[in-house]
Amino acid sequence: MGQAIEKPEEKREIGHDEYNPVGTLALILLYFVLLVFLWFFMYFVEFLGNDPTVVGTVVASGVVG
Amino acid sequence: MKIHTYEKLWLGAAMVLIVALIATITYGAVGLGISMVDDEEETIDPDALDEDDRFNDPRVEHVGENEYEAYVVARTFMYQPDPIEVPANSEVTFYVTSTDVIHSFSVVGTNINTMVIPGEVSSMTAEFDEPGEYGVVCNEYCGSGHHTMEGQLHVVPEDEFDMTELEVEGDDEVAEDDEVTLNVSVENGMLDDLETTIEAEIGEETFEEDVTVEGDSTYETTITVDAADLGEGDHDWSVTVDDYEDSGTVTVVDDLEDDGGDDDE
Amino acid sequence: MTMSESGGTYIDNFPAEARVVRSALYSSFLALALGGLFGIIQTLHRTDIYRFIESDMYYTVLTAHGVFLVVTFTIFFLVGVFTWAVTTSLDRGVEDIRFTWLWYGLMTIGTVMAAAAILAGFTDSIDMSADVLFTFYAPLQAHWLFYLGLVVFVVGTWLAGADWFRSWWAWKQENPDERIPLPTFMVLTTMLMWYIATIGIAVSILVFLLPWSLGIIDSVNPTLTRTLFWFWGHPVVYFWLLPAYMMWYVMLPKISGGKLFSDPLARVVFILFLLLSTPVGIHHQYLDPGIAEGFKFIAMTNTMFLLLPSLLTAFTVVASMEHGARQRGGTGYFGWLKALPWRDPVFAGMALAGLMFAAGGFSGMINAGMNINYLVHNTLWVPGHFHLTVGTASALTFMAATYWLLPQLTGKALWNRSVALVQVVLWFLGMTFMSNSMHRAGLLGIPRRTAEPQYQGFEFEAGVGSVAELDFQLALGGALLAISIVLFLANVVGTAFNGRSDDLPANEFAETLSGPEDSPQVLDNLKLWTAIAVVLVILAYSFPLMSIVDRGGLYGPDISPFPVSIETLSLLAFTLEQYTTAAIATTGEFVQTTLTGVIR
Repeated sequence: MGQAIEKPEEKREIGHDEYNPVGTLALILLYFVLLVFLWFFMYFVEFLGNDPTVVGTVVASGVVG
Repeated sequence: MKIHTYEKLWLGAAMVLIVALIATITYGAVGLGISMVDDEEETIDPDALDEDDRFNDPRVEHVGENEYEAYVVARTFMYQPDPIEVPANSEVTFYVTSTDVIHSFSVVGTNINTMVIPGEVSSMTAEFDEPGEYGVVCNEYCGSGHHTMEGQLHVVPEDEFDMTELEVEGDDEVAEDDEVTLNVSVENGMLDDLETTIEAEIGEETFEEDVTVEGDSTYETTITVDAADLGEGDHDWSVTVDDYEDSGTVTVVDDLEDDGGDDDE
Repeated sequence: MTMSESGGTYIDNFPAEARVVRSALYSSFLALALGGLFGIIQTLHRTDIYRFIESDMYYTVLTAHGVFLVVTFTIFFLVGVFTWAVTTSLDRGVEDIRFTWLWYGLMTIGTVMAAAAILAGFTDSIDMSADVLFTFYAPLQAHWLFYLGLVVFVVGTWLAGADWFRSWWAWKQENPDERIPLPTFMVLTTMLMWYIATIGIAVSILVFLLPWSLGIIDSVNPTLTRTLFWFWGHPVVYFWLLPAYMMWYVMLPKISGGKLFSDPLARVVFILFLLLSTPVGIHHQYLDPGIAEGFKFIAMTNTMFLLLPSLLTAFTVVASMEHGARQRGGTGYFGWLKALPWRDPVFAGMALAGLMFAAGGFSGMINAGMNINYLVHNTLWVPGHFHLTVGTASALTFMAATYWLLPQLTGKALWNRSVALVQVVLWFLGMTFMSNSMHRAGLLGIPRRTAEPQYQGFEFEAGVGSVAELDFQLALGGALLAISIVLFLANVVGTAFNGRSDDLPANEFAETLSGPEDSPQVLDNLKLWTAIAVVLVILAYSFPLMSIVDRGGLYGPDISPFPVSIETLSLLAFTLEQYTTAAIATTGEFVQTTLTGVIR
């Protein structure tokens, strides 16, 4: 049937004022939590765990000396 | 402007996230002292590296207590020196430059990674606590043999590390009435004094000399033995200093074939 | 929202324009076919599963893969879909179709020139090559035809933009009080960004690389041409992405059965891209010597704030989909997802592309981070990232959009919707394997852009899994993607040979829940946003560029600096002054309006 969009029987109109994208909020907050977790994992485990890491000369001599 | 409450909430969360990301990086830079490759080094003429004190002889130098500098040249399709050898429990500053195109100097399995651009010198300081062997790869496309461009970085145990170089010059042929001479030079690249023993063996004769080679200097000595004591024929000689050995053969002849021998300039 | 009154298909309303758009899309798909072919050769070669070319030829293949896919495929699709968007949303044809064919012709000629230079690298019988990869970093040098081809191509895109601006100006004369229709707004802001961004590549090629390849000048400053490349090289990723964003905003809500959640925020998003896309390019040079850490930090903060428009897009687009799902009877916090039209390849393709982009957004955050760049720079992680963004968010959205556009442009029904659905799902699966493998391999330090990531002196150590497993995933992903491309092309060809259909939907785009009337007028002030964008670019780039020229010389260390004429300088200063005054005068007004808006 070409391009026609399938129209389910129970199609209803939801206007601007009655619509709260609660599902979107739920999804995007999950995404937020995932991003924060992965960021910390990548920075503190993958990156800092991959030493030796380049350090400034001043800081380095401070640590060694 | 009409924005739904949920989207305002998300806008706020997104801003918090962005600020947190910047804060983490800033903590790494300021708190942990992770510094970026930058414009600290002077530029250099990539066509005249042989006139530069650091890069005319790519090498590792001992510059302070547990501090080393490695001068590395990247060129299609190799690194010099290779391997780069440094001791464990050290702080190494790499200075890397290129003679031709853009390369990288990337120590596999570590955060030591830099672009190498002709005309610029990349400098990076890193601490090596443990011994280990690392591969070095070029991760920037540099031409048809790019995939063959690799090197090695060896972090050797501290007590096995030295920067001693032994060089011996000996005669090939000596007349029986002359002396066999070995000119021995022991170079100590470390800043600390090197206490060691030079042991030499010529034929059946043995010599031993306890020496102290001062930091960043070369000790030279000459070992002589009367050729007559060795007798006519071939005699193997060897000189050892710690784990380094140099050896050769000297032939003692009855008489040099003609006058054009050793005395002749 | 203005929409075609006649309610017919695009080809019914704009038959002449439909021909140009169709030609642009077919050019794009030809590039996709070639680029895809080179892609599968690479995956098999890299992983050492099947090598039938010499390893030095890998770099010719890689150059062609990069240029054909990220320049030809994406940008030809962009000019096609943007022409569709402008004509549809303004409901008027182009002003002069000959001009439209002119820019299409220039883009085609430019592509043929660059392609000839690249493909000549496969044979020794022609003394020409351009094995310089997509980034053409000097001192690697390509044949001059490659650089000239790029110039001609970019000039074509400039004229395309002029064409769309011309349509808008003509429309504005007749509709002085109306807001710019959203699709046109998106096209215009994207093109303004493009005009600013292409300054970098134009200067790099015209002033340095082209004269250098012709032997007119002896040397270049490698850091300078590299920096100018990234001046363009980062905004170009938004040039790939924004047509996809546009389709997510103006088509996806409709396909989902709903309306666009917020037109004002969509405009804010595109303005943010105009402002922030360019002053960030130095984040590609975090590990470059000769650039101060401070400049790198500034580029990082700009880059991080560039996350904002994408994060806002995620909300607005998903909320629009949810609106469709709820209108279709969806319920619950997550249950509504089941009410979405997953069997529609247009929807499924775009939604899966968006999902992958969420993952690509994460690896992008890592790439944006300054010091963490030591971990991932130039490893396989980076192509892993952009195969999710340009390789999926853009490419898969373009393919899904094609299933909607092609019938509009040909008047013929899509050849096979089931094949189309299988195609988009295969792309999703293939890219899941491939990008997962690439990201993980990158963390092991395996480099990108290499024919043989197998070395003599050491081995890469995998903490989880093994290198062999990663290679297998890479090759499997590549194979699935190659099959997906074949199915896509089959559908395009099948549709072209279909008979005309009377049963096609009208050429319409999504209505809005919150329309432009909910946003301040200042959002449509394109002069203002352009001025601010220019100022931001000057702030971000003037000092780094001056420092780079100061260190390495304009033409490298050997040649004394080329004199810039006094006229050029004073003209530049005058333009700057104009822009800055305009910007300062109106920013205050905008900040006031938006802030009160947001707070309220």
